[in-house]
Amino acid sequence: MAEPIRILTAVPICDGHDSAILTINTEFIRHGIEVIYLGYHRPARDIVRAAVQEEVRAIGISSYNGGHVEFFSEVLALLRKENAKHIGLFGGGGGTITKADAAIMQRRGVDRIFFAGTPFEEMIRFVKESYGRGSARAARSREQVLHRFARKGLGVQTHGPALVIGVAGPGGTGKTTLIDELVLRFLRSDLRKRIAILSHDPSVVGKGALLGDRAAMIYSQDDRVFMHSLATRGAVGGLSATTEPWLRSLKHAGFDIVFVETVGIGQEAMPFARSLADCRVLVMSPEYGSRLQLQKIVMLDTADIVVLNKADAAGARTARSEVGQRLDLNAREQKLVATIASQHGDPGVDELFCLLEKMRKEKLLSDIGT
Amino acid sequence: MSVLADIADAVERHEQFVDRQAERARKNPAFRRELLRRWNKSLKRVGTASTPTGLRLPRVALPVTDEPGEIARFLFGEGPPGDFPFVNGAYRELYLDGSASSKARAAKGRAAAGEEPTRLFAGLGLAEDTNERFHFLTRQQRSVRLSTAFDGPTLYGLDSDEDGVFGKIGEGGVAIDTIDDMQRLYDGFPLDDPHFSVSMTINAPAPVILAMYVASAKRRMGPRALARLRGTTQADIFKEVQAQNEIVFPLHASLRFLGDMIAFTTEHMPRWYPISISGYHIAEAGATPVQQAAFTLSNGFAYVELLRRRGLDVDRFGPRLSFFLDCGLDIEYSVLARVCRKLWAIGMRDAFGAHERAQLFKLHTQTSGRSLIAQEFKNNATRTAIELMLAYINATNSCHSNSADEPFTTPGEEYVRLAAHAQAILLEETGLFKTMMNAFSGGPGMKIVEREVQKGILAEFREIDRLGGVIEAIEHRYQRSQIQAAAHAYERQINDGTRPIVGLNRYSNAAPGLPEVKVVRTPRAKKRLQGERLREFKRRHKKHSERALDELSAIVESGGNVFAELIRTVEHCSLGQITGRLQELVGRYRPTV
Repeated sequence: MAEPIRILTAVPICDGHDSAILTINTEFIRHGIEVIYLGYHRPARDIVRAAVQEEVRAIGISSYNGGHVEFFSEVLALLRKENAKHIGLFGGGGGTITKADAAIMQRRGVDRIFFAGTPFEEMIRFVKESYGRGSARAARSREQVLHRFARKGLGVQTHGPALVIGVAGPGGTGKTTLIDELVLRFLRSDLRKRIAILSHDPSVVGKGALLGDRAAMIYSQDDRVFMHSLATRGAVGGLSATTEPWLRSLKHAGFDIVFVETVGIGQEAMPFARSLADCRVLVMSPEYGSRLQLQKIVMLDTADIVVLNKADAAGARTARSEVGQRLDLNAREQKLVATIASQHGDPGVDELFCLLEKMRKEKLLSDIGT
Repeated sequence: MSVLADIADAVERHEQFVDRQAERARKNPAFRRELLRRWNKSLKRVGTASTPTGLRLPRVALPVTDEPGEIARFLFGEGPPGDFPFVNGAYRELYLDGSASSKARAAKGRAAAGEEPTRLFAGLGLAEDTNERFHFLTRQQRSVRLSTAFDGPTLYGLDSDEDGVFGKIGEGGVAIDTIDDMQRLYDGFPLDDPHFSVSMTINAPAPVILAMYVASAKRRMGPRALARLRGTTQADIFKEVQAQNEIVFPLHASLRFLGDMIAFTTEHMPRWYPISISGYHIAEAGATPVQQAAFTLSNGFAYVELLRRRGLDVDRFGPRLSFFLDCGLDIEYSVLARVCRKLWAIGMRDAFGAHERAQLFKLHTQTSGRSLIAQEFKNNATRTAIELMLAYINATNSCHSNSADEPFTTPGEEYVRLAAHAQAILLEETGLFKTMMNAFSGGPGMKIVEREVQKGILAEFREIDRLGGVIEAIEHRYQRSQIQAAAHAYERQINDGTRPIVGLNRYSNAAPGLPEVKVVRTPRAKKRLQGERLREFKRRHKKHSERALDELSAIVESGGNVFAELIRTVEHCSLGQITGRLQELVGRYRPTV
């Protein structure tokens, strides 16, 4: 079965009109396209950075607030600067983009502007024909993408392999927010630190997917952060068939930290083999159900750190003591941290950051020692 | 549990109360006599007026009946205009010839201008350009009710020199970075005049922008002008998180800044409407009319709860809450505001014990932008005219009519004028509202639609309540997901033709005819000028800005009133500087997908 087309969609800076793009995303996904959605109010540099890192075939921009000629031109200029002219660019803006504007934009290199009233089928056909397998645009390999990132003069530190942190847990427990808040702390703690995030979203073989983690990330939109989203494409266990090769590449690509976020998983075993992740974090919320349900969470036995997020929710105290007791029984010195990741400057997240930073330093020392 | 279930219960109790009154009117002679006395008083209170063709008509239409049950049902269930539960209007008279508003309309010159219902939205380019448009509009309309649109960077609290926003400067609204821009924006208008009012469509940065307005008024009119300032800031954070996405700070921090602002205006600016609880953007983002009404009302009740928790008196701030709804072409819009007035009044009275002035759902309506399309765009004038008619049938207190060219540009003068004239034609030229204010209200069809709409709204109240209340529902992404699902359904209906749109999926021109019209854009030279002015301001205030920001930080951290401090901060700091500092302190808003 052919690999799905990957595209990235976004709404420009100072524009919150996401109604059209959300509908179009849904239609794309229904027709087998993998959509990495970056969200609204996104500057051109975030869009291009994400497109390059995600190695998408094209960027689709929905602009309703004016200034589109400048904005699309900025995206094109940044793509050229990144030597990524193989990534296509298309867009639309209901009636706000006039025919005259569209002519200018297409002259400058935009592949296509859709006007109001374009049927979904026409957009889907355009994407499949222009960016599908038959299209002339050559994609970059994983090594090429990482190589480009590494080459960007950020004064790469001389150090060994990155600390790989595997983050798993049920959907809706706040894994993405937690990672973003940790990224903020890592970035601030050392201006030379570089971080990679490998994120996963579920999909079925040969079908489309919405890869939406980037849209909820605010601090990870940074030149020192490399993020790549993978659809599981039918793989079970919360990861994808290409997770392992990606991790191997990321581990030795000059990053200090690599986060791997699984899709939401519940009572399965921890998806990361010891060889894959240096530190395995299970994120859960107080809403796991009964004590009996808790017994079924196998990951509690293998996690190095258990994060009880949403520690302000009802039932958090009960959850904290129940999970604590369960971990005590394991007698493995597993750490339990209570966090409220959605709260700015949460002390629980600070504590988690310190734990991980300590692990990173210890690993660094032991790597040097060996 | 939130207050919403109590309100839904209160509405249902009220329906039962009305049923009982109707029953009593039929069966209990003493009650019937008393009721009929009250009814006759209501009838007598209504004056009459002559049409140009010589008909003598009552100025307010009341049901033509002598059946006591029906009379009770009307008096208790709907009320004549201005009476609880205000189904027929928040005030006794609206739109009528000879009423305060129309006298003002007929009077010459600005000095006599009063409360005509037309309020037109404007904002383009730099402050002086919008100022010029305001003077042009008020000359045309003999009205001094300004409504201000801000550009994208301002709406997101960014400065015009922020990386990547250059193209957005002055597009779709006016660029405001500093108090100097604010001075230019309303230059030549008497800010403290009792007949002048200004409305500002600004949300996340509303406290900063209003602080600039207040500081600017103080500069021009002295510190005592504060108590006389009239106007509205939209400042509705809930609908931003649910639909419009112009949000800068995390929800709880935004609500704190907003609460500080409302506490200040309630105390020092009694003529200000600090918040306009808006369904417009909820509907434009795709909500059905029932969702629009349910989310707007529930947001309103959530603000009341928050403000009461701060210790503010509902009878003081309640009358300063106002509402803003969209009016589109679906049949629900023939009754939507009528139902909203009723539910608001019952909720405020029964759940919050508010007195009558705080029970009024004061409404500004705008015709639907989403219903307008670019293809054969002149049809938009027809769509807007029908929506205007619906808005006035719903007894809106003020109204903005969209320009036909809006799907592709900031409205040009020609279409702005047509849109304004559409209102004048409806209210002044036609005889539909000026001799009898509510000739089209209360028919059987309307009552049936009202019943269904109310049922839908109460069901939403109970659903939000089950989730724990408005804030908890937001955290569950409830409103967003509902709106998005409705938007998706709407687009599919257009796509498969089950929702006819003339010129798009019906009777469309064979040649894809996009209009060749004059598009209003802000020239690059002006965008550069805005940046230069901002840099000059920052240079001039370099010495003081850092200290001003530190003082602001101290207030944020000590829990003082941030708005009161902002009035000082804006003297030395730009919008972007202030936003940046506040984000360092409270964090940035994290979007939900």
